[in-house]
Amino acid sequence: MAELTQNEKRLLAILEKEKKADAPHLANLLDATPEAVVQWAHLAGDKGLATVERVVVKEFVYTDEGKAYAQNGLPETQLLRFILPGTTLADLQKHEAFKIGFGQLRKKGLVKVEGTSVTKTAGASTDADEAAIRNPSDADPKTKELIKRGILLESETVRYAIAITPAGLALVKQGLDLRGETGTLTRDQIISGEWKNANFRKYDVSKLPKKAYPGKIHPYQRIIAEMREILLEMGFTELYGGIVQQSYWNFDALFQPQDHPAREMQDTFYLRETLPLPKGYEKVKAMHECGGETSSTGWGGVWKEEKAEQCVLRTHTTSVSIQYLASNPNPPVKAFCIGRVYRRETIDTTHLAEFEQLEGIVMDEGVTFGNLLGILREFYHRMGFEGVRFKPSYYPYTEPSLDAEVYVEGIGWIEMGGAGIFREEVTAPLGINYPVLAWGLGVSRIAMLRLGLKDLRYLHKSDVAFLRETPALRHTKGGI
Amino acid sequence: MAVITLPYKYLERLTRTDKKTILDKVAFIGSDVERIEEDHADVEFFPDRPDLFSPEGVARAMRGYLGIETGLSVYPVKPSGISFTVDPALANIRPVLGAAVIRGVSFDDESIQSIMSLQESLHWAVGRGRSKVAIGIHDLDTVKPPFHYIASPRSRKFIPLDYTESMTMDEILNKHPKGRDYAKIVKDFPLFPLIVDKDDHVLSFPPIINGERTRVTLDTKNILLDTTGTDKRAVGVAVNIICTAMAEAGATIESVEIGGVETPTLAPAERTVSVNECSRLLGIELTASSMADLLRKMRFGAEPAGADKLKVKVPCYRADIMHDWDLFEDVAIAYGYDKIMDLAPKTFTVGKPHPVQVNAALAREAFCGLGYLEVMPFTLTSEDVLYKKMQREEKNGVLHVMHPISIENTVVRTELLPLLLEFLTLNRHRELPQRLFTVGDVVDSCLTYQQAAGVSTHPDADFSEAYVSADAVLHELSIDYTVKESADMAFIEGRRGDIIVAGKKIGVFGEIHPSVLNAFELEHSVAAFEFDLRAVPGYPVL
Repeated sequence: MAELTQNEKRLLAILEKEKKADAPHLANLLDATPEAVVQWAHLAGDKGLATVERVVVKEFVYTDEGKAYAQNGLPETQLLRFILPGTTLADLQKHEAFKIGFGQLRKKGLVKVEGTSVTKTAGASTDADEAAIRNPSDADPKTKELIKRGILLESETVRYAIAITPAGLALVKQGLDLRGETGTLTRDQIISGEWKNANFRKYDVSKLPKKAYPGKIHPYQRIIAEMREILLEMGFTELYGGIVQQSYWNFDALFQPQDHPAREMQDTFYLRETLPLPKGYEKVKAMHECGGETSSTGWGGVWKEEKAEQCVLRTHTTSVSIQYLASNPNPPVKAFCIGRVYRRETIDTTHLAEFEQLEGIVMDEGVTFGNLLGILREFYHRMGFEGVRFKPSYYPYTEPSLDAEVYVEGIGWIEMGGAGIFREEVTAPLGINYPVLAWGLGVSRIAMLRLGLKDLRYLHKSDVAFLRETPALRHTKGGI
Repeated sequence: MAVITLPYKYLERLTRTDKKTILDKVAFIGSDVERIEEDHADVEFFPDRPDLFSPEGVARAMRGYLGIETGLSVYPVKPSGISFTVDPALANIRPVLGAAVIRGVSFDDESIQSIMSLQESLHWAVGRGRSKVAIGIHDLDTVKPPFHYIASPRSRKFIPLDYTESMTMDEILNKHPKGRDYAKIVKDFPLFPLIVDKDDHVLSFPPIINGERTRVTLDTKNILLDTTGTDKRAVGVAVNIICTAMAEAGATIESVEIGGVETPTLAPAERTVSVNECSRLLGIELTASSMADLLRKMRFGAEPAGADKLKVKVPCYRADIMHDWDLFEDVAIAYGYDKIMDLAPKTFTVGKPHPVQVNAALAREAFCGLGYLEVMPFTLTSEDVLYKKMQREEKNGVLHVMHPISIENTVVRTELLPLLLEFLTLNRHRELPQRLFTVGDVVDSCLTYQQAAGVSTHPDADFSEAYVSADAVLHELSIDYTVKESADMAFIEGRRGDIIVAGKKIGVFGEIHPSVLNAFELEHSVAAFEFDLRAVPGYPVL
């Protein structure tokens, strides 16, 4: 049974003597308001220790006018007493009760007016009316009449009859701790030592009083932070770069041919803005047109400066890493970037026009394709994916290229991202003389799996309830 | 991506092994098996390998990979005696022509379908939607050589494929479904490309449509292939891929004479590569002979030429081999990605976070401490949300994307606060108070930098709350600021303050204006603030 409050105990203690009583009466004894007593009684009632009986009592009360009549008699009674043999109408008119009383007397047929004289009819009496004003009753038509005349008011009062149950009695017999109860522990109690005598109110531990929602970072941000941490631990330097990039850095420097389908308006967000090409762009131009000074044939055709100057919303963070490499051509370079990238896709549950991409690069003397596989395996292992495998793939700016797949319990092998070694056509014109291992992955893909999302848009147009309910620590198993 | 249908019976006959062996290994040469059906499989190949866009090409590659037949496939070509003339007037319209004669084909419905789909895949992967390369296949026996590739008046009439009446070329662009699809490639030229025979019968109106006359049927025995375009290399590759696929299917290939040159030759290209360079790049042990074996498995001709050198013959259909490293990838594929030792590199490096992200994390921490919940809105939004609903002037530095996907994604965000208000609209039905924040990128005139913003909504949200919260976050970031009366129309007059650092406005806080609340359909007051994170002392220059 839930703990009794101090007030419930006090009520039961009184009821042990009173057995059954009105709330106002008990309130008096308990030095509380009747409302409070009823509330305590209900609490005790929930525990089967007391009963609360709601009684509706009808009462008649006097109006101000009625109060005077109850004392002095009704106006017609007063006039009737005044009428003596020989009383004239003029005499009667002087009486203060005339205005109301005379009409009543005439209406009830208690007086006769002949010429100027007024006489009582035989047996004239207002005793019944006077009885009605003193002892009003529902059944009495006279009472109804008095209500109509605005002399009496009918009012309903709800009363509560509170009684103790046998279970309540038994409990009181066992003895109740009636010491004063401490709710909030006060400063005074603490410093005075008064707390030693305090009887701490006990709370119902099975009931959470109210939900509290802490401020916290977005669950998606948490996944990004986890990946960031892993890469920092693995010795990578973090990069940050612009959302707006020249086509030159987004495509041309990555040896993406100018007529490549991915560069078309329907796949990439173009802007009206242009930026001047950086120094040394001619080497990139030569690479596209004829393969520069490498063993490559290049794409052939004519490479156009205007196309390279045009700004786009970056389609990958590779545009950031390639600029970093171009300005840091000395090995070793180990860097990563996590940032928003843009593709002109129709937005639906699994496709967004903007999403986070993670990209890592390693440039060093003598790094190999095998090293790339090693880094990827290490990264995915640290993300919690035990099974990792690689298969041939194609990306325009890497050779050899691969796709990494991870094994997810209950789903199977899932493609996680692409990787490869930057083509010499990419590195040579920028003065990068060592192999560059590069790999990328869609962060939202892991987020979707981990958070069990059916709709990717939810990451960016989130329901506050979802954010509040998703705990900071989620138990992941096998990376998910 | 190109998804190729591989009928099992045909594939097994060409590969000379069972379908299970093939399907088990086909992913290892670079593909994704999309669907396994009763009688065929649909397999996706990468756009750099158009030579795999037919069952014939896949069978050729798989015979090598499985060791059934390795080394270079040789395709003999003899002259057909047929010639083409090319009209010099085509120089600026569609100058490049490739052609070949393919004899002794025997078509059934399936093989016609197969060559049509190869043609379509090539249009996509090599032809850039027919603009760079367009391919026509004709029944050779319906026309008479020599053939002429001419620039024709647009009023020239002929019966296009799938029609019974003759139409002008202009009419074809307007009425024929293919005409409408591809009109944009030619419509601006005064003359149109046209291929006719000796008797002036029309074979083709490239890159739009063939004539009905030369339709390929089940009775077709000999094929004339025409390939036109703007890029010589791409046109050549398309011809080579179709001819070698047809040769794999049993046909014989004959060359034609175009401007005095016999074409195609289907001869391999030669490349000399270093064994050591390959070995170093891949991180595997190789000798000249082991590397030659691996390349032969991938259908290259390969002969050691000294300890470190390998002479490689690159088949004419391998358009993707541009650089030595392209061959090294094939070595890696033949070796097996799963057999390559994966060891992380040994060089010691220390991880270093970027200061922008370090500051962003500190800002997040301060907001969380105040009970704010992080949200991550999209960066693409609209002028309506950024400015109109906010009662703010459009920023000069706002970037408009040229071809937005919808009216909700027309600009890149220049502020974060409007997006937070949009978030409150989205969550009107959720329990109050709601305190939300975001830290992230905004763009101003091509420059990306970061802002932070917070909103608090509940019946008692007011100026004081905005001020106190902004102060707390600014303090945590050591931003030493002063406040001036603001004129920002997004806030109530007299309940708004500009955050000033070194005499410059870096942010604003206050109580959101009721007409802004109305515009966002919000029902409770909102205390809000936003500021530029570049005001953090020691912030990196972006």
